[in-house]
Amino acid sequence: MSDAPVLFDNVSKKFRRGELHDSLRDLVPAMSRRLFRRGGGSAEELEQGDFWAVRDVSFDVRPGEALGIIGPNGAGKSTILKLLTRILRPTRGMCRLEGRVGALIEIAAGFHQDLTGRENVFLQGAIMGMSRDQIRRRFDEIVHLAGIGEFIDTPVKRYSSGMNARLGFSIAAHLEPEVLIIDEVLSVGDWSFQARAYDRIHELVTNSGIPVVVVSHQLERIASLCTKAILLDRGRVMHEGPPAECIERYVTTNWSGDEDDHTDAPAVIRGATLLTEQPAESGSVARMRLQGTVHRPSGPEDVAVSMRVRALHTGEYVFFSETVELGLALPDRGDFTLDIDLGMHVPPGLYGVELTIYDHWRRRTLKRGPTVTIEVGGGPTFLGRVQMSPRVRLVSHAETLPPRSASAV
Amino acid sequence: MTQTATRAVAPKAIRANLADPSRLGVLADLREVLDELVQYRFLLQQLTLRDIRLRYKQAIMGFFWAVFMPVLIVLAGLLIKYAMARMSGTELQASSVATLAIKALPWAFFVGGMQFSTASLITNHSLVTKIYFPREVLPLSSVAAQCFDSGIGALALMLVLPFLGIQLSAALFWVPVLIVMLIGMTAAAALFLSSANLFFRDVKYIVQVLLTFGIFFTPVFFEPATFGELGSRLLMLNPIAPILEGFRLAIVEGHNLMVPLTVTSGGESVLAWSPWHLLYAGSFATAGLAATAVIFHRSEQLFAEYV
Repeated sequence: MSDAPVLFDNVSKKFRRGELHDSLRDLVPAMSRRLFRRGGGSAEELEQGDFWAVRDVSFDVRPGEALGIIGPNGAGKSTILKLLTRILRPTRGMCRLEGRVGALIEIAAGFHQDLTGRENVFLQGAIMGMSRDQIRRRFDEIVHLAGIGEFIDTPVKRYSSGMNARLGFSIAAHLEPEVLIIDEVLSVGDWSFQARAYDRIHELVTNSGIPVVVVSHQLERIASLCTKAILLDRGRVMHEGPPAECIERYVTTNWSGDEDDHTDAPAVIRGATLLTEQPAESGSVARMRLQGTVHRPSGPEDVAVSMRVRALHTGEYVFFSETVELGLALPDRGDFTLDIDLGMHVPPGLYGVELTIYDHWRRRTLKRGPTVTIEVGGGPTFLGRVQMSPRVRLVSHAETLPPRSASAV
Repeated sequence: MTQTATRAVAPKAIRANLADPSRLGVLADLREVLDELVQYRFLLQQLTLRDIRLRYKQAIMGFFWAVFMPVLIVLAGLLIKYAMARMSGTELQASSVATLAIKALPWAFFVGGMQFSTASLITNHSLVTKIYFPREVLPLSSVAAQCFDSGIGALALMLVLPFLGIQLSAALFWVPVLIVMLIGMTAAAALFLSSANLFFRDVKYIVQVLLTFGIFFTPVFFEPATFGELGSRLLMLNPIAPILEGFRLAIVEGHNLMVPLTVTSGGESVLAWSPWHLLYAGSFATAGLAATAVIFHRSEQLFAEYV
């Protein structure tokens, strides 16, 4: 068995839907069963109304590693964090967590509205497991990071919601933990606070050499903070591997079902292939060819083929357009073949081009089509979000250094 | 973070494996509860401070609150005692006020501790579902805050008692013992009721009703000996009764609690006190505290799901 400080070994967690007990009559049998049988027996089978929130999940996190957990709502991410932090106990399997946990979860949960900021710092710090000395020592830093200033002796009820969240984050960020758990706290406060908060977390994750677990819907944060990731769906691990790989799986899976997929769409895309070579050099043109069929004519401007480009390593959409906008109308009826050239003026990485039949007029997807993956790489390295394809040339060159002007003395 | 605190936590692997049979031991559970309470003592202190601050912040009565309930109980008791004295054609004794006050304060403590602690897990709902800490600190901090209130009441009482004819005696040695028993019993009730109220929300109404009428089954307004031998025995079965009687005998009568006491009541001689009463209350508090701590600890893992 792994000796990692954070270990999930085939953990499952069962929840019940709906009400737990209807009357006091259920009390004695139910309580005694729980207290004295302690999870034995019925752990395997689902009773009526039960469901698995987490099913056979295994992972470990070693010092210096950061695990990202991604997945759609209801996938079991928060349940895993609660199992990790011992708020919930697993129905089956074992979870182990060694060391003092710093959990950046619901960071203002312990605040009491009638107490002052100062009183709440000590209270919340204590709830999160800090000692009195630790809080005293870091008090000024906490107040500074939160940007609360002279309002520290004001009751928290008179704080703005941003101040509230900032103070909560600030306390959590000074925990000095041995294991760090972060849940969706990267989006509190205004822009400048978010930047500071992110820097602080980045510092904790990269410099402390402690195991870290991150849950976030901000995929680019997962991509930049984590060393590995798991993708969850309905309690099960769908994929495990480098963050970019999991994010790719996540964003290319159609979680929403077929909601915006109209079976009576006037056209379909039957297939699409990339014609240019992989990897495409940053700044070059990638060409793809798609085959489609128009079943019935619609208004000349209505039906289009749309392309939505997503950076798979971050999950961000980077580009969207469609054919009508670009001045191309689809034929009224019959099969068609379409070539699309995309200038890949983007940084190296994996990009997905999601092709759909699109209603130009109502601005909505009519029928999903295939996704073409383009890998961008090679070429000179650069920093930034856009490939600006710089060309540099020397215009003039003098052999000797210009003499230092004596007149300047 | 001090180095010692780090050491206290770091080597301990937290195993949440329910099937692990080594966790089934009652003593192991108790040890775990104590370890965690020691580890989280600063949190216990901060939560107690919070409860105290909230009680006195934006409150019209301020510190008068601490003596308000005991004073009301004394007045109610005086009314009843006066009625009883009139019926039996005797005079209302001067020591009645002192007797009532000495019993009213611990009773008010017990009632207050139970009232505040019963709802403690529910009112801190967001903490219970989101952050891990030993949940015992929530009801226990309610009891601790009640200790502060009653402490103020006790100070006030100590100032008044000399004027009510109470003198110092060696029997006062028993007072701290009785206080520890009372706190233990209140803590046991707090642990049990707070977890029960988490699973069944009507528990707090049951507690309210019990506390409202409990005063009639507890020797606050009367002495059990008044009810004769059998009545006295039955009334002293109430685990709070020996503690209240103990306070009265030790402070008002200056009676050594290791010595049995027989009084005449209604023509018969009644055993009003025996050291066994003390042992009964003491073991009730100890066993109750241990049992409720284990029950609380074992049901703790379900709190986040059921709250």
